[in-house]
Amino acid sequence: MTKRITLKLNRETRSVEVEPNDILLDVLRDKLGVKSPKIGCERGDCGACTVLLDGKSVRTCLILAIEADGQEITTVEGLSQAGLTPVQQSFLEHGSFQCGFCAPGVVLSATELLGRNPHPSEAEVKEALAGNLCRCTGYKPIIDAVLAVSRKPGRRI
Amino acid sequence: MSIAHQFEYVKPRTLREAVRILARYGTGARALAGGTDLIGLISDGVVAPQAVVDIKGIPGLDRIEFKGGVLSIGALVTFSDLRNSPIIARRFPVIREMTGWLASVGIRNRATLVGNLCSAVPCCDSGAVLLVYDAVVQVAGPAGKRRVSLHDWFVGPRKTVLKRGEIATGVAVPLPKPKHGACFVKLRRYEGEDLAQASVTVLALAGNGYRISFGAVAPRPIAGERIEALLEGEPLSDDLIQKAVRLVPEEIAPITDIRATKEYRAHMVGAMLERGLRAAVARLAGAGPAYGTSLI
Amino acid sequence: MTQLKVVGSSPSRIDGLEKITGAATYVDDLSFGPDLLHAEIVESPYAHALIKRIDTSAAERVPGVVRVVTGKDFPYRFGLYMQDRFIFPSDRVRFVGEQVAAVVARDAKTAKRAAKLVKVVYKELEPVLDLAGALKDDAVLVHPDLGNYPRCPWFFPQAGTNIAHYRKTRKGDVEQGFKEADVILEDTYTIPRYAHCAIEPHAIVGLYDLAGRLTLWSASQSPYTQRHVFAQALAPLGLSHKDIRVVTPYVGGGFGGKAGVSMEIIGAALAIMVKGHPVKVRWSRAQEFYNTYQRQGVIARIKLGAKKDGTITAIEHTLHWDAGGYVEYGANVVNAVGLSATGPYRIPNVKIDSVCVYTNLPPGGPYRGFGYSEFHFGLESHITRLARKLGIDPVEFRRKNAIREGDTLAYGAKMNPSGLHEAIDRVAAEIRWGHKESSTDPHKVVGKGFACFWKAPAMPPNAASSAFIKFNEDGSLNISASGMEIGQGYLTVMAQIASEMLTVPVHRIRIEPPDTDRNAYEWQTVGSHVTWGCGNAVKAAALDVRGKMFEVVERALGLVRDTLFLEDEKVKCRARPDFELPFKNFVISGIQTPHGNFIGGPILGSGVFMPEFTSALSDPETSQGGHPNVHYTVGAAAAVLEVDKQTGRMRVLKAVLAVDAGKAIHPELVKGQVTGGVLQGLATVLYEDIRYDLKGKLLNANFTDYKIPTALDLPDEIVPIIIEVAQPDGPFGARGVGEHTMIPAAAMVANAVEDAIGLRIKTLPITAEKVALELRGIRYDDVKGAYMGLCFAGQPDAYDFRTTSAKKK
Repeated sequence: MTKRITLKLNRETRSVEVEPNDILLDVLRDKLGVKSPKIGCERGDCGACTVLLDGKSVRTCLILAIEADGQEITTVEGLSQAGLTPVQQSFLEHGSFQCGFCAPGVVLSATELLGRNPHPSEAEVKEALAGNLCRCTGYKPIIDAVLAVSRKPGRRI
Repeated sequence: MSIAHQFEYVKPRTLREAVRILARYGTGARALAGGTDLIGLISDGVVAPQAVVDIKGIPGLDRIEFKGGVLSIGALVTFSDLRNSPIIARRFPVIREMTGWLASVGIRNRATLVGNLCSAVPCCDSGAVLLVYDAVVQVAGPAGKRRVSLHDWFVGPRKTVLKRGEIATGVAVPLPKPKHGACFVKLRRYEGEDLAQASVTVLALAGNGYRISFGAVAPRPIAGERIEALLEGEPLSDDLIQKAVRLVPEEIAPITDIRATKEYRAHMVGAMLERGLRAAVARLAGAGPAYGTSLI
Repeated sequence: MTQLKVVGSSPSRIDGLEKITGAATYVDDLSFGPDLLHAEIVESPYAHALIKRIDTSAAERVPGVVRVVTGKDFPYRFGLYMQDRFIFPSDRVRFVGEQVAAVVARDAKTAKRAAKLVKVVYKELEPVLDLAGALKDDAVLVHPDLGNYPRCPWFFPQAGTNIAHYRKTRKGDVEQGFKEADVILEDTYTIPRYAHCAIEPHAIVGLYDLAGRLTLWSASQSPYTQRHVFAQALAPLGLSHKDIRVVTPYVGGGFGGKAGVSMEIIGAALAIMVKGHPVKVRWSRAQEFYNTYQRQGVIARIKLGAKKDGTITAIEHTLHWDAGGYVEYGANVVNAVGLSATGPYRIPNVKIDSVCVYTNLPPGGPYRGFGYSEFHFGLESHITRLARKLGIDPVEFRRKNAIREGDTLAYGAKMNPSGLHEAIDRVAAEIRWGHKESSTDPHKVVGKGFACFWKAPAMPPNAASSAFIKFNEDGSLNISASGMEIGQGYLTVMAQIASEMLTVPVHRIRIEPPDTDRNAYEWQTVGSHVTWGCGNAVKAAALDVRGKMFEVVERALGLVRDTLFLEDEKVKCRARPDFELPFKNFVISGIQTPHGNFIGGPILGSGVFMPEFTSALSDPETSQGGHPNVHYTVGAAAAVLEVDKQTGRMRVLKAVLAVDAGKAIHPELVKGQVTGGVLQGLATVLYEDIRYDLKGKLLNANFTDYKIPTALDLPDEIVPIIIEVAQPDGPFGARGVGEHTMIPAAAMVANAVEDAIGLRIKTLPITAEKVALELRGIRYDDVKGAYMGLCFAGQPDAYDFRTTSAKKK
């Protein structure tokens, strides 16, 4: 039995038919056309499926699409529309990513952190990113990039 | 990554409606809050509910309140809510400490503490920590409201005392009257996110009172009553700590599984108890390692 | 020596912007429209069983199911170095989780539901789940037909046994060598299997269109090799390379796991069966663990002898590999080690026996290090132990015996130029070797461990690279090659090489993931060889382009070509300082003469690199005579390790790794390989812990219980050191480093543990649990419970390494 849900995706109102057992990650990718949240483990362990749901990072592989009715979702596609955010710019400058598969999730986790805490410590950065698995980089260039933004004066995300 | 199993989805707008639906379906219905446990179980085919009852629309369940010396945590309060709560940080810092080693931010933003208690997994971190506070679970059901001591809450792995149609609406955590310091120590395989292979929670009360609990070393979180009795009224000393550690094998019943051997769990509970006792007592005195510092 | 302008600097990654904006596309992101079909696999629950009957009728009746495919539809074998594998087996299954059938349906949920309705009747066979059992005289055979399998000529399977390949290397006279030794040490080391855990699971989409053209979109390190294997496997259906096209977008991590062909053959086969419709096969994380390649487990015996002055006189190194149910790729891992298991040392008398054993566990295959990560654990542990037994400092011992340019390798060829001594010295200095550190915490002690490493690409002797370069009207250029960007920065490095040669800035060079129809050939992006091999091809293509530019300018304008040079995207002339011709003025349009006609036209060039000096032909009994390895990359590493004696918990305070890159074309990318590789290596020794039950089922096929590093698990400090002793035949002197950075981790930690707490642990992983229990006199193997990390059931020290084909010969 399908239901029509309406949500805001990257500031645009979108409407889609879903079945109760549709996973939000699948609906985002297959029906709503955003490909940046990735399928990595289907168990919420790797963070590749992360989006911001009403501003909070969540694992879309563990959420039913129908639960997101009426909510706001931000993915990396939405962040990049007006040009790179400061943290994205920092990631670029630090060469933070290699294969890039974890990058959308990491960008959003870092964005959430800096939105809540503009000047996090190294320990706080690591805690915020601990749920995003990266097999390539060893994390150092990712952490360095976020800390570089953290050290800038003023409010930045 | 689809779920093949089909089910109905309902989102009640009141607690009474939720209870009615749960009573109607009985074991065929599952309450859904954060979903970080349930969705995986459905995907894996471990549970196949006829209906999923989303309780996130029920008002009043998302509050953290401290009134009359009792902390109330509603069923929809997430671990992130707890982690960011000034009330928790000030009054129950060990609860905040526990959240720091639980999963990751993206999971904590959804997973609820009450949901964790309802999952009743033997490694349930929140169950272990709240046990030392003699917390009480609040339940609503067809027969009305009732309260269940956390000591009576867990029946066994993935089983609580909830009856047909019942739903946990929150948990009440009384603040101990004496000043206290506390410590939560969680054994993991590395610094990253992990389910507890063992956990020890120590509450040190002014006047040499102690509450001890253990997680992941029995079918459910358990209180260390013999050790509490041993320590009661005594100031902590190296000798007393060693006596307490020697009682550990009588308190716990660890198993060997894919995550750890019973020998290591038993050994580590002793080490964690020792370090936890020292830290809790130091914190009671306003010293000791900052909450959130790993002791192992 | 002209100053390099681009090579040796660290420009912004070409693919950086795509990856942080979400624009980067991986196979599962591609859209194929509403006609896309979905597949679900039916898998074997048994490690070893005959397939008696498969009843697909119930599944076929489910509305939305298009086709159910089994082994009878594809009774052909395939494989890279040996054809021992099936698309779907029709006779028997050889590991838990092996694919037996596939349901193809209109949507994924239907495929999943219908797959449950496929009924397979098995007759269980005794599984081969112990190496000793695999090698005994009357062993159950995993491949009774082994003698009939086509294979490359330098593999030596032993029909009638479970020995899929046996590489023997014999140099000098080890018996004499041991006689000359004053001290001999002999011991056994056990290394379990490991999983790659790239964050992107394997995925493939296949379309066999109505005109008979097969296109695959694959998450692969090896588009051309995939095409070749598909062509071989599907030849019975009349297909050949011309009909098959492989397109590979960005790959979300490879580490060797996306090399060769594993699950992708299923996508190709299913596409054939549903002609006209695209079909996707995407692996779940669990399948990623148990049905793609794994890093093979191995039990190794090392006997090492040295004189009291520290000179190593002889090595005897026997390795029995748990290679899994199919070894079409993994046998080459065994082969590579059989040639190089001396480690980077000058040893006159060598006996290596590297035995590839079939077992009923998932197929082993290429994993970062290709056997070298596996054997260095034992070897570098053993080197330190022998040094201590001699009373010589372990670093000094390594210095004394470190291999040098021109030394004779185990198989007779000569060692290439390399900076191993410099690496040892710089690592020792950075780690403050010899300076004992301590902790203020009464529970904790600090130790230091050292290890050297080396590795050569393990490739067939004709692993070639090629590249095209063409210009665009604006003077920008396109490089067309088929190396894969798997994260290492390959695209950027190729652009730097072309940029250095042709003066077009990196940001005006376009190079993208390939398509076998449009891009020049590359064997595979494996072995840490594409910087060298494809880099040489790109350099050759750039030289070709440059030559053509000069030729056109000479022909059109009469300037002598030897006086021409390139600078700032212009052709200039030493004899005429006022002359400059911007590329964009002529690279497409040609050069107009005063008469109005145009000379030249589009400038394009090609380059090929073939390592013509290498050969795999050698004496099968000694491996002497060939030159199977193009060159070695060497290095050294060390760790400072803090151990809590009460809990066993270990913390790497500092890790240092020096690698000889020959020439670091992009130093930041090289350092990135060090950081990432060190962490991946540390994970294999400290907490990655694969567990099979005693029936061969993988128990921890998920990240909940197979732990890979998080941001919280970094050592306090990782120091990368780049050594540059030029590789004479490398582009600008470069050689590869991608795999090498994880190779020394396990041994340096094991050595640090011994230094810290006096405990020598000879089995991996070295977890906190193992350390804590061993410190208390509890043998971990005695209490660990009923599981295994590799196909081995007994006590390592009791394993009889003579249970080999010796009897059968």
